[in-house]
Amino acid sequence: MFLKRLLKNKIGLIGVIVIGLNIAVALAAPLLATHDPLTINLEAQAVPPSAQHWFGTDEYGRDIYSRVIYGSRISLYICLLSVVLATVGGVATGAAAGYFGGLVDNVIMRCMDALMSFPAILLAIAILAALGPNLYNVIIALGVVYVPRFARIVRSSVLSLKEKEFVEASRAMGNGNIYIIFRHILPNCTAPLIVQATASLAYAILAESSLGFLGLGAPPPAPSWGNILSDARNFMMENPMMTVFPGVAITLAVLGFNLLGDALRDVLDPRLK
Amino acid sequence: MLKYILKRIIYLIPTIGMVAVMVFLLIHMIPGDPALVMLGNDATPQDVEALRDALGLNQPLYQQFFLWVGRVLTGDFGVSIHSKVPVLTSIADRFPVTLSLTTLALVFSLIVSIPSGVLAAVKHNTKSDYMFMLGTILGVSVPGFWLGLLCLLVFSVQLGWFPSTGFVAIWENFWEGLRYLLLPAVTLGLFMAAVVARMVRSSMLEVLRLEYVTHARAKGLSEWKVINKHALKNAFAPALTTIGIQYGMLLGGAVITETVFSLPGLGKYLVVAINMRDYPVVQGCILFIALVYVLINLVVDLLYGFFDPRIEYK
Repeated sequence: MFLKRLLKNKIGLIGVIVIGLNIAVALAAPLLATHDPLTINLEAQAVPPSAQHWFGTDEYGRDIYSRVIYGSRISLYICLLSVVLATVGGVATGAAAGYFGGLVDNVIMRCMDALMSFPAILLAIAILAALGPNLYNVIIALGVVYVPRFARIVRSSVLSLKEKEFVEASRAMGNGNIYIIFRHILPNCTAPLIVQATASLAYAILAESSLGFLGLGAPPPAPSWGNILSDARNFMMENPMMTVFPGVAITLAVLGFNLLGDALRDVLDPRLK
Repeated sequence: MLKYILKRIIYLIPTIGMVAVMVFLLIHMIPGDPALVMLGNDATPQDVEALRDALGLNQPLYQQFFLWVGRVLTGDFGVSIHSKVPVLTSIADRFPVTLSLTTLALVFSLIVSIPSGVLAAVKHNTKSDYMFMLGTILGVSVPGFWLGLLCLLVFSVQLGWFPSTGFVAIWENFWEGLRYLLLPAVTLGLFMAAVVARMVRSSMLEVLRLEYVTHARAKGLSEWKVINKHALKNAFAPALTTIGIQYGMLLGGAVITETVFSLPGLGKYLVVAINMRDYPVVQGCILFIALVYVLINLVVDLLYGFFDPRIEYK
């Protein structure tokens, strides 16, 4: 029913198709790539697009098309895991704050306020500056950055839900707090959580590529989209097309999640329209 | 009003305290010995010990924190390990560049977003509205740094309209400085323009449905007056929060934009410091930007009541 409504929404359908294509490309990367994305070829450095190298090559002669294809794997992997981390962290802290209230609520929400006192990308940069740039630290940094957004949503939902009669009834039956939270409260918070998760995926792709561009993402020679653009920057006068393709890949992926996010918001929570 | 401002400032103290704790702990999150990480493996044990002493790393954590807070409160943000220049002096030199960039980006985004958001709401469900929605969704999807690279390539390198290297401060030579800042400001402000425009559109749509707008039209007021004098002012209040949040976000975005356009601002200084493992500079820059961000949010909160008089200063 929900899927039917989502696919009936034209924007949602386009979003699903774009994301589906992205995931398909990431999964089928070994089949779609024409070269090894890490193989250096010093005889073909920074060459423009040709029949052999569809998007040209970078300064080390690596095939940009193959790197962009494999880049979708790294970028989607980082973004999905960071949003999962943020969702789990946000749900746990938001549910605890909203359900238990009092001191627990105060301590948790002041921590969330502090996390939100930094511009998002700056906080990720700060965490990576301390932990050092690698794939898993990027996931941790982006996950931490997005935790407060989920926590606030869950907390406000829990605050209204915990006073409802079905929760009172469950409590009267002798069910414990954890059971009530997982069995009765959290299932009723899923709609805003799905909308937030989809929007966060779009932001995470942008943030991950920005971090990669600054040299704080997955370490080279990993072909993340931000890394490819960072490499392309030094050779953009000689081969301008080097900058075009990875940027288009990032834009399409972000566009897909933004379109899906908008459609999900319309379908799941019309009040937010 | 004054009481309200004081109250809001007092409420900021715990938030600033938490921010200070987080920025302080930054140096302690470094895996291994922070002093060794900063100086590199070639450093002598004496050098490492001297830096540990200088940074107070040999003392208990709580003592380190209170000493650090005490120094920060007196304007001592530490000294750069590499240049030996006080961090606050470097921040003071570079922040005006970042401020001029973000302010120009804000001006650009407001010039684009408010009229287009209003127009889209007035022309709701028409081709113009659909084009607007397409434009805004593209605006939030295009990575700013990529757009910056493309702009550099097209407008600076190919067409030669804007300089691709160097920098002239806008306060030294306004028009020349504007040539250096325009492309970075447009690429930085585009995301904000798209977000604010969507907010203005949805707020305007809500307000235009209200009875007082129908009443204003029934009085025979021109559509221009109805929209500008009656609808926009009320629709602007919710958009103001978005503008405030997004302006703060510009400070984060400036880190990337300044790197793309090689602008000598706070963001570029931070990135260089991270690459050189100059942690006192990293700590100082992050603390400073976070404090500015918190202050921006305070100003937005205070301005909110001006645009929405229903909000009482209690």
